Amino acid sequence: MTGMERVLCALRGEPADRRAFTLALSLYGSRLSGCPTREYYSEPVRYLEGQREVVRLMDPDIVFTPFALPFEALAYGGEGIWLDKFPPNVRKPPFREHDDVKPLGDDLLRSSGVAYLIESTRLLAEEFGPDKPVCAVATAPVDLPAMLLGIETWLEILLFDPERAARLMDLATDHFLRLTGALFSAGAAFVAIPVMFANLRIVTPALLEKTILSALARAFGQARGPLVYHHGGNRIVDHLGLCSGLPGVAGFLFDPRDNLARAREVLGQGRLMLGNVNGPGLARMQPDDAFASVSAILADRAGDRNFVLASAHADIPFDTNPDTLLAVRRAVVDAGAVA
Amino acid sequence: MTTMGRRQLRCQELRNVFKSESTHSYDCGGTGMTDEMVTSLEAGRETLYALMLEADREKALAMLLDHADEHGFQSAVSDLLEPVLERAGEAWLLENLSLAQGYVAGKIAEDLLVAAAEKGGDLLLDAKGPVVLGNVEDDYHSLGRKMVAVFLRAAGWKVIDLGNDVAPSQFVDAAVEHGARVIGASAMMLTTAENIRHLRDEIDARKLGGRVRLAVGGAVFKLRPDLMQEVGGDGTASSAIQAPELFERLWAQSIEAEGT
Repeated sequence: MTGMERVLCALRGEPADRRAFTLALSLYGSRLSGCPTREYYSEPVRYLEGQREVVRLMDPDIVFTPFALPFEALAYGGEGIWLDKFPPNVRKPPFREHDDVKPLGDDLLRSSGVAYLIESTRLLAEEFGPDKPVCAVATAPVDLPAMLLGIETWLEILLFDPERAARLMDLATDHFLRLTGALFSAGAAFVAIPVMFANLRIVTPALLEKTILSALARAFGQARGPLVYHHGGNRIVDHLGLCSGLPGVAGFLFDPRDNLARAREVLGQGRLMLGNVNGPGLARMQPDDAFASVSAILADRAGDRNFVLASAHADIPFDTNPDTLLAVRRAVVDAGAVA
Repeated sequence: MTTMGRRQLRCQELRNVFKSESTHSYDCGGTGMTDEMVTSLEAGRETLYALMLEADREKALAMLLDHADEHGFQSAVSDLLEPVLERAGEAWLLENLSLAQGYVAGKIAEDLLVAAAEKGGDLLLDAKGPVVLGNVEDDYHSLGRKMVAVFLRAAGWKVIDLGNDVAPSQFVDAAVEHGARVIGASAMMLTTAENIRHLRDEIDARKLGGRVRLAVGGAVFKLRPDLMQEVGGDGTASSAIQAPELFERLWAQSIEAEGT
């Protein structure tokens, strides 16, 4: 079976020759191809070359476009940070004052970083699209203001200035729809959305239920393709029931601390679940430990056809031992078919 | 009218509402409290905690000011605010408190400290320390640092806050100038947390490693518990609310190190 077929089996709840799996090896491609990170994150062709090496090493069932959300903030201005062995970042939020934030319209798609994301998606889809779904990554509309203004300012506005919060979320929704629309047009099979601010570790229950979820529903409902709800760095099972009905969400990617059995109870049969290997944690794991850890997840989900083994949190770190990654793949293969 | 003035006016209205809605009286004495007073204080803490969870900053401040009017700011801090912050810290450890609720707790404490400073009175500000705080070089994520500063001040510490993007030499210069025994360095991401190593080197190069203790914190330290030691920190806290306890411990270590 191809990766595409395995992922479709997981979506439909059908048997497969083995468990579909993927790791967020966006950054790791630069290590495998020996391309300096600045060039890797500037030239879509270099990114494609890196992902070819990822496929050669791991043959994952899903390939990732650049996991580089800061490019979305940099489209509005500000200064990027370029470091060896890390994806680009934003030195500081581009705006100090909320009233300075203005919508970019289609200039968003013409900014160099976002144009790079879209072109990388197009190249990946052209090369791998028929056999492997291409997963793009985009910022949640409820999180974009935090990238533009800083977490503190966005939290303050959310808590104490609902009208201004609504205006900023309108801007962020427009941004989200333009970007995800362009990524789907470029060939992304789905877009993963890390969601920080729809989480009870971050906001109050009242904010989540009255403000955040309605904004997400409005944005997700207009997306032009399927979305994967990414846990965003925190556990999500305890409020999963509130998020499970969001429109446009094809699957949920869980935090390593989330209990997948409990998640299945909340979601019910038939919904796609992904998880929950600790991606950054692999950098500190020996191959045998990674094998055991992944095998335990697979054993827990053995009877669950609607499950894809995937890494959670951010990108797999640059310094991760390739043998540790191969141990993940070996655990998947050893677990055998999905009956 | 200033923002603070407007807030206090709204607070006065809220205090009136709160008084009429409340079934508790907040009478309490610093000494010789009756059972009724103790019960009243406990009920007051419950109410304050609930207001904090609901992010009702203005009502919470109104309640604290109401208490301070009758019993003084020191009692408002020690009898109401501090026990509530302690409870919030426990809830944070159990992951039963959100960042927003912790932020509101900080804002409530900050509002009370501003009011106490403006009105004067019995609250012991800057009774401990000083300590130096800042975000490390290249780090501009100020939320955690500001919350730590507020909780430290509420606990009576004098805080020298150097702001964002602070070079190692600036940290150490400030510690030497002000006689601080603890430096608190904040970093949100792994990339910037790595810069704490340079601060450690600077402290050691000036042979201040015994006297000046290094507290480190930020979101990444929660995700990677080993990082505190990797970058050369002497201690960390799992949230801003727990910072006063950490600084007390590091301060004591500094004194002990100098005595040996």
